[in-house]
Amino acid sequence: MIDLARVTKQFDGKRNVTALHEVSLSIDKGDVVSIVGPSGSGKSTMLNLMGGLDRPTAGVVRIDGDALDGLSDDSLTRVRRDKIGFIFQFFNLLPTLTCLENVGLPLHLRGWSRSKVHERASALLELVQLGHRTQHLPEELSGGERQRVAIARALSIYPPILLADEPTGNLDTRTGREILQLIDDLHERLGSTIVIVTHDPNVAARCHRTIALRDGRIEQDVRR
Amino acid sequence: MMLLRLISWPYFRKHIVRSLLTIAGIVLGVAVFVGMHTANQGVLFAFNSTVDRIAGKTELQVTAGETGFDEAVLESVQSASTVRVAVPVIEATVDSQIAGQGNLLVLGTDMTGDRSLRDYDLEDADEAIIDDPLVFLAQPDSIMLAKEFAEKNDLAVNDTVTLGTVLGPRAFTVRGIMRSSGLTSAFGGNLAIMDIYAAQHMFGRGRTFDRIDLATRDGASIEKAQEELRQLLGPGFQIDAPAGRGRQFEAMTASYSIMINISSLFALFIGMFIIYNSFAIAVTQRRSEIGILRALGATGGQVRGLFLLESAVTGLIGSLGGVLLGLVMARGIAASIGGVMKDVYGVAQRADEVATDPALLALSLIIGIGTSLVAAFIPARQAARVDPVQALQKGKYQVLSVGESRLRALAAAAFVITSILCLTAASSRVAFYVGYALAILAALLLGPLLAQWLGRALRPVLKWMRPVEGALAADSLIQTPRRTSASVAALMLSLALVTAFAGMARASYDSILDWTTTTLNPDLFVSPSPEIVSRTLRFPGPMGETLAALPGIARVQKVRNARILFNGAPVMIVAVEIGSVAEMAPSPPIEGDATEMYRLAAAGEGVMISDNLAKLHGLHAGQVLTIPAPHGLISLPIVGVVLDYSDQQGSILVDRTVYERYWRDDSINLFRVYLTPDASPADAKAAILQRFASERQVFVFTNRELRDYILRITDQWFGLTTVQIAVAVFVAILGIVNTLTVSIIDRRRELGVLKAVGGLRGQIRRTIWMEAVSIGTLGLILGFALGALNLYYILQIVEHDIAGMRLEYVFPVTTMVALVPTILAAAFVASLWPAESAVRGSLVEALEYE
Repeated sequence: MIDLARVTKQFDGKRNVTALHEVSLSIDKGDVVSIVGPSGSGKSTMLNLMGGLDRPTAGVVRIDGDALDGLSDDSLTRVRRDKIGFIFQFFNLLPTLTCLENVGLPLHLRGWSRSKVHERASALLELVQLGHRTQHLPEELSGGERQRVAIARALSIYPPILLADEPTGNLDTRTGREILQLIDDLHERLGSTIVIVTHDPNVAARCHRTIALRDGRIEQDVRR
Repeated sequence: MMLLRLISWPYFRKHIVRSLLTIAGIVLGVAVFVGMHTANQGVLFAFNSTVDRIAGKTELQVTAGETGFDEAVLESVQSASTVRVAVPVIEATVDSQIAGQGNLLVLGTDMTGDRSLRDYDLEDADEAIIDDPLVFLAQPDSIMLAKEFAEKNDLAVNDTVTLGTVLGPRAFTVRGIMRSSGLTSAFGGNLAIMDIYAAQHMFGRGRTFDRIDLATRDGASIEKAQEELRQLLGPGFQIDAPAGRGRQFEAMTASYSIMINISSLFALFIGMFIIYNSFAIAVTQRRSEIGILRALGATGGQVRGLFLLESAVTGLIGSLGGVLLGLVMARGIAASIGGVMKDVYGVAQRADEVATDPALLALSLIIGIGTSLVAAFIPARQAARVDPVQALQKGKYQVLSVGESRLRALAAAAFVITSILCLTAASSRVAFYVGYALAILAALLLGPLLAQWLGRALRPVLKWMRPVEGALAADSLIQTPRRTSASVAALMLSLALVTAFAGMARASYDSILDWTTTTLNPDLFVSPSPEIVSRTLRFPGPMGETLAALPGIARVQKVRNARILFNGAPVMIVAVEIGSVAEMAPSPPIEGDATEMYRLAAAGEGVMISDNLAKLHGLHAGQVLTIPAPHGLISLPIVGVVLDYSDQQGSILVDRTVYERYWRDDSINLFRVYLTPDASPADAKAAILQRFASERQVFVFTNRELRDYILRITDQWFGLTTVQIAVAVFVAILGIVNTLTVSIIDRRRELGVLKAVGGLRGQIRRTIWMEAVSIGTLGLILGFALGALNLYYILQIVEHDIAGMRLEYVFPVTTMVALVPTILAAAFVASLWPAESAVRGSLVEALEYE
């Protein structure tokens, strides 16, 4: 499902920083994988490359066997739009849109009709137990509720791949547990491939596989 | 200064585009101010300079307005004990008949006496002329040219030069070329001298002079000479120093100068909003920086001082740029103003040199810096009040607080009420202008709130058009009133100005069209000049009878119009055969009885005056008007007030018999010709041209041509509106680029999310475009609303303080309809670059941006 072949990522600046060194790995369809490691180990960089948010300096990233390198900006966006759902640590909900509008955002961008968008977004909000919050703005929700909305948005296109960057990093322990439970439930129901970047060993322990990074290299790759 | 280097300079470098846009706001305001004032001054200077240069050693000039006077007056002046020398002068601006050279100013003088007033320093001439000017006199085709004109056209002594005269194009022999001097540089060097009697003949002056130039005897003061001449000549003459002509010219063109002043002040005001916008944005964006400074011990005063210093430096840089750009613009604007002066006011001058006035430039710098400081004052005060703790919290600072909104609404309501009271309860002009200023202030105070309300109203429409892009564009406007309101306000102000001027132009156009339809109904108009308003050439009175005898001509009306001084102001006296006008083209009176008015005026027992003269001088039917004329004071009752747009300063209509009696002048400026029912205008025109072809220069205009001509010069007068529209478009672009540049920085994360969840580049661009077009739409709606109010005030000012014209309130729908796509297109163009910068850059950085 996701293949990284000798992927290197360097950040240019006054001092060039290499975030990933010729990393190769493969993630199978339906897998739930966690990426762990200390700050600056390259976890988020790897997730961004898998999600087509960034491009590698060298090497190839493949999604469903298709290489992402050489794709135009819009083609890369289409890959994200059709295959990838993102969950961010800071939710990244649009503050001026209601929960329903936030969840329907990717569908509108795909050109879906208003009624279909409404139907799907409402169903997803029900799924994350926020059916009663459809017309609320993000600022009117708690942190856990916001992350639920973000998850509903990520799932709106029924993506085959779900990428989560510290999904519980900004939440208290109890709410974090609820969110992880929700992700597990959704995985069971939708069968998506899930990659979670986390600092939390408890989160990592819930996944089928854990990849540990250090200084931009894979230090450990544990399957359960 | 240290803070400026450490804090401001890095910010300037980081946001160089926005900083340049801020400077561009000042450049715009100062450039329009400098350009318009320099051009206007240049034209006035050119006129004054010509007057001064051709005056020579003249100490006083005797005139009777533009009408001229009988030759006999010269003897009276020469007999005055205080006068050393007095020489008659005829001054005419004639077509040089040389391509690209335009007009030539011809001075007709008496060479025998004139040399003691003007020094004709001949560089090259017939020896005989230098020795004896009588030789010059003996040859009526003689002319002397300024060296500048001769050199430009390769003319030498004994060459011939052809000039347009009332007798048609006539060849003159160059008898002398004057060395470069003050005199020869008058009228841009396009100067010629000819004998006074030849000039009388060539320019249709009959036995009259335009003026007498004189110098006083040693020991006689100017004031004493003036007093003696006043006693000697009576009240119909003006005895003034040459500079007095400049003052009259300024008075005559005052309304145009007022329009220019209003435009340039609006430009400065608009520039101020662009600066305010930039600084307000800078304060909100630099809150964390300000918070750190405050936390490190900077006082509120130091923070305020930093922002004010930044604004002063920005103002200085912008003002210097504005001065340079303004001076470049001035040349083009001067040509345009010069054209208006010549075509509308009939006064030719050559503003070849646009002089830079150091005082104006210094004033511009002060105004530019001052405007910048005033504009930055409120943002600087807000910066000084930033709470260090809240400063590091992002988000809410762009929102207007409920208290602030309420305060604005209350102040605006107070201003509106006072403004209405000023308009209805008070009758003084001061109260009117206070009301006007308060109405504009109220609109500016309400601008952000109205923009927010309108933004909310627009949201469903935009969302309906594009659910994501539209909603986000509207939200961007609604959530950040500080960011958008100044751009909208600047656009609103400039559109309000355009609306008012376009409305005034439309109303004037309609009124003039109505007037031409009612009163200008002759089939043909016969003029000695290609420009009908030019009064430099005249026909002799008896030509009317020759004209009337031509086949197909049913009736000829003789018109003589000239500016005279009335109550110290230049007004137009129009001498017509009132009985004939009453029969053929009666005007419904605004005051007075239609039948009686024409009967009394035709019998020489009364005068009719134009509505604008009545307004400007507070005159009414029944009052007795005292008009000073060369041959006595005319005291006649006003028998009617009628619409007449012959002159902006107003006109007095008298019967020709009155005019001939008191001015002893039977010359004609224009013949109004009515044809028999069976005659065709084309045939009659051809017959007239053929009849006079060998005798004199004649221009025949059909009714349609004359109307087109009048409407063309009306358009020319309002040509300034075009400059204002250009400023409005520029403001729209500048303000919107400024706002959007900040908008995409503020919305970087939002746009990043949009891309991350599948927004294509086109969709990102579209949301920026929609935001820009929405700002344009808000500006248009508020601009038209304020414009509707502004138009009312401007029409009142025109009626009471400028031209006395009672103009109907008509909203200029056509111009406004044309402005909608113009401003929206400008808004769209303004958004192209910000939209491109929004789709570029790192998506990862955008998502992490805080």
